[in-house]
Amino acid sequence: MKKNLNHPAPETNPRIWRSLRERENDPEFLKHLQTEFPRGADVYQDSGLSKREFMKLMGASIALAGVGLAGCRRPESYLVPFTKGVEYAIPGKFLYYATSMPARYGAVPLIATTSDGRPTKLEGNPLHPFSNGGTDSFAQAEILNLYDPHRSKQITENGKASDTAAFDAFIQSIANSNGEGLAILSESKSSPTRDRLRAALEAKFPKLIWAEYDPLAPTATIEANEASFGPNIRLVPDFKRADIVLAIGSDFLNPIETGIGFAQGFAARRSPDQEGAQMNRLYAVENHFTVTGGMADHRLRCKASELGEFTRQLALAVAAKTNDANLAAVAKAFPESKAAINADWVKECAADLAANTGRSIVLAGPLTPAPLQTLVNAINSALGNIGATLKPVKTDSRDAASIEDLAAAINKGSVNNLFLLGVNPAQNAPANLDFTALLGKVPNTVHLGLFEDETAKACRWHVPAAHFLETWGDIRTFDGTYTSVQPMILPLWNGVSEIELLNKLIGSAAPEGPALVRATFNKVAKGASDESWNAFLRDGFLPDSAFAPAKMAFNATTAAAVAKQAQPAKADALELVFLQSPSVDDGRYANNSWLLETPDFVTKLTWDNAVLVSPATAKKLGIKANNFNVLGDIAEKMGNDVNYDLVADIVEI
Amino acid sequence: MANFFPKWTNWLPLKLVICAGALVTAIAGGLTYYFTPKYTRVGYEPNQPVPFSHVIHVQQLGMDCRYCHSFVEVASHSNVPTTQTCMACHTQIKADSPKLAAVRESWKTGQPVNWVRIHQVPDYTYFNHAVHVNRGVSCYSCHGAVNEMKVVYQHEPQSMSWCLDCHRAPENHLRPPSEIYNMAWKPAEDTTQREIGLKFKEEWEVNPPVTCGGCHR
Repeated sequence: MKKNLNHPAPETNPRIWRSLRERENDPEFLKHLQTEFPRGADVYQDSGLSKREFMKLMGASIALAGVGLAGCRRPESYLVPFTKGVEYAIPGKFLYYATSMPARYGAVPLIATTSDGRPTKLEGNPLHPFSNGGTDSFAQAEILNLYDPHRSKQITENGKASDTAAFDAFIQSIANSNGEGLAILSESKSSPTRDRLRAALEAKFPKLIWAEYDPLAPTATIEANEASFGPNIRLVPDFKRADIVLAIGSDFLNPIETGIGFAQGFAARRSPDQEGAQMNRLYAVENHFTVTGGMADHRLRCKASELGEFTRQLALAVAAKTNDANLAAVAKAFPESKAAINADWVKECAADLAANTGRSIVLAGPLTPAPLQTLVNAINSALGNIGATLKPVKTDSRDAASIEDLAAAINKGSVNNLFLLGVNPAQNAPANLDFTALLGKVPNTVHLGLFEDETAKACRWHVPAAHFLETWGDIRTFDGTYTSVQPMILPLWNGVSEIELLNKLIGSAAPEGPALVRATFNKVAKGASDESWNAFLRDGFLPDSAFAPAKMAFNATTAAAVAKQAQPAKADALELVFLQSPSVDDGRYANNSWLLETPDFVTKLTWDNAVLVSPATAKKLGIKANNFNVLGDIAEKMGNDVNYDLVADIVEI
Repeated sequence: MANFFPKWTNWLPLKLVICAGALVTAIAGGLTYYFTPKYTRVGYEPNQPVPFSHVIHVQQLGMDCRYCHSFVEVASHSNVPTTQTCMACHTQIKADSPKLAAVRESWKTGQPVNWVRIHQVPDYTYFNHAVHVNRGVSCYSCHGAVNEMKVVYQHEPQSMSWCLDCHRAPENHLRPPSEIYNMAWKPAEDTTQREIGLKFKEEWEVNPPVTCGGCHR
């Protein structure tokens, strides 16, 4: 069994190639190979260690660390009780409190779940007479805003860290002055405590400018209702009584636009099994797909600029059926424009509405122009809906200056101290005001906000605001029900609430707990006692505190004057429509990943924003899908630079 | 042809198999004993920041478990007492005892006392104290005779098989509801634990889960 050990010598350099081009020694390919895998790419620049050496070292370290078997010992952990027992708190059990979130259309009454003193979940308050337990996506996502690590945590002066003592001294100097040139810009909010403090501040400083601004505020609705019915009139729809609903540019089934409390009433009448009533019928006229449009029995596509013309034709048709002189007068005042509206659709819709007088609702979106909404008021009035399906109430809201008025005052140089409470005009004010530059013209600017945003950077002072889950407050829902705002946790970053800051400006001592709200409650609630106050906090609202029904008549003269101001649609004009974002609202939720992660209700878009163009328009302009510069392309196709004024008529909606 | 292998190699394969078998048995046996909660956990008796004695408080003074572990009947978690609970008595009794320095310090500063955890149910196991004590399982069954412990230690392994032993045959541990917190309870002379247990099991419809999802929810 002898073995032959004389094997042939192995080849010294076996030639291994990984592609045909490498075998061919293609010079271009070799150059590419050199750039694709450069020498030394696996060496860490900081230490000079290669990846292989790093793995060796780390492996050895871990092996050495295990020699003492330290990893096998049980780590010592601790049971840490409270020092003092906390009222009602049982470890591992949730506590529920009623509170509410101030919102554009009033408030969202909420039940907050707290675990070990920390709010962890928000749901609607099922006891509340207006919301019946409804919430919207923004309210659900507010928990994430509360714990957002990017919230502002520090009072700053000119961008440098400051402290409460310095800021209080500054506030005190204003409180002690005569209030010359004091202005406040905030969001409109129907908070009785804030209104009370505003009145006290105005009594102390009669020249105070109180301005309110929110880019998505329903100012057109307020204007239209004032022209139609008189000041401070609000129409609260009762969908349970409506057989026919017509939504004109309105996404009322989506709570982020018009608020909670609408969809439930509508849905109650949508059931085919309901007793004693027919299923309701929904007509929708809109320029883009919405939740409401998706629910509609009859949906009409209509350009945003032609909604006015649609409403005018509908009004004329309804006026002919109902013989209402007021409606005819307003509809005739509304300027006609050339637009191809589906006449049959209008005729059938008008006939259906006229056949159901007093049992229908015509709704216009809160961001449609005031003349259109005035005309819609006239239609509802002619159909006998006011007082039947639309309950008119008299609100307690007070006049406020607009942001344009404030800008004019700043330009005149009559504002020395400007307080910006929870607003971000540097980001969302109309661009032609150039608000950032205006802020530079005011000697003392104070920004109260949750984030160090664009406005905070442009202001002298920035003060961290308290989240609504950290403060005492009160608010009225859309129907006027007096609703509580309770803190669930102490301010995480020593934030100050709006009413606390106003109280400081008046020069009063810092309130103890809910003292400011309690003082308002004593005025609002009849026969207020500790019992009724506790019930108010427990249930989250004061029973029977909604606005009283208003008695008023439709004023055709003033309504016609407003209707006359409608802008006729331009034929064949390209229009650009800006919409409220379901993920970031007007930009305030830009840091909230829950909302950005939630798909858009209709397009299913996440973490993004897109220009939606109809297929026909896209074909006409030669725009391709998934294009990242649609606006630029449109501008180029139309022979302009990107100047949106020239590209298209901007329709306010 | 000469023999390549000497004669003693004839038994080598068998010997190797026997040795390997013994080794594997030793390792398996060692692991099952030394690496299981019975060995690693039972008797764990860490030093506590305060030398609290259950013998004095329960055995001699006759305090109920629920005076300090106040939420055991209503919560899944049985709490250790707050500093306030200690100070309710110790502002008057042994108010200057050096052994209670940590408690007084906590009361003064508001910083809680860090008691060292002894019994630990893993995060992947659902356990609810209230359900057990309200259905006839005494403190004694899981924690041993705490009333006789000067320093608390772990008495039971609290392993999965230990849990299942009782879940499969709860009659071996169930007691009348009045005796849950009575650490010295024994079945009366003329009955046995099994009789009492079976009676209560039927009366209260005690039906502990033995499926995976019962505890690993």
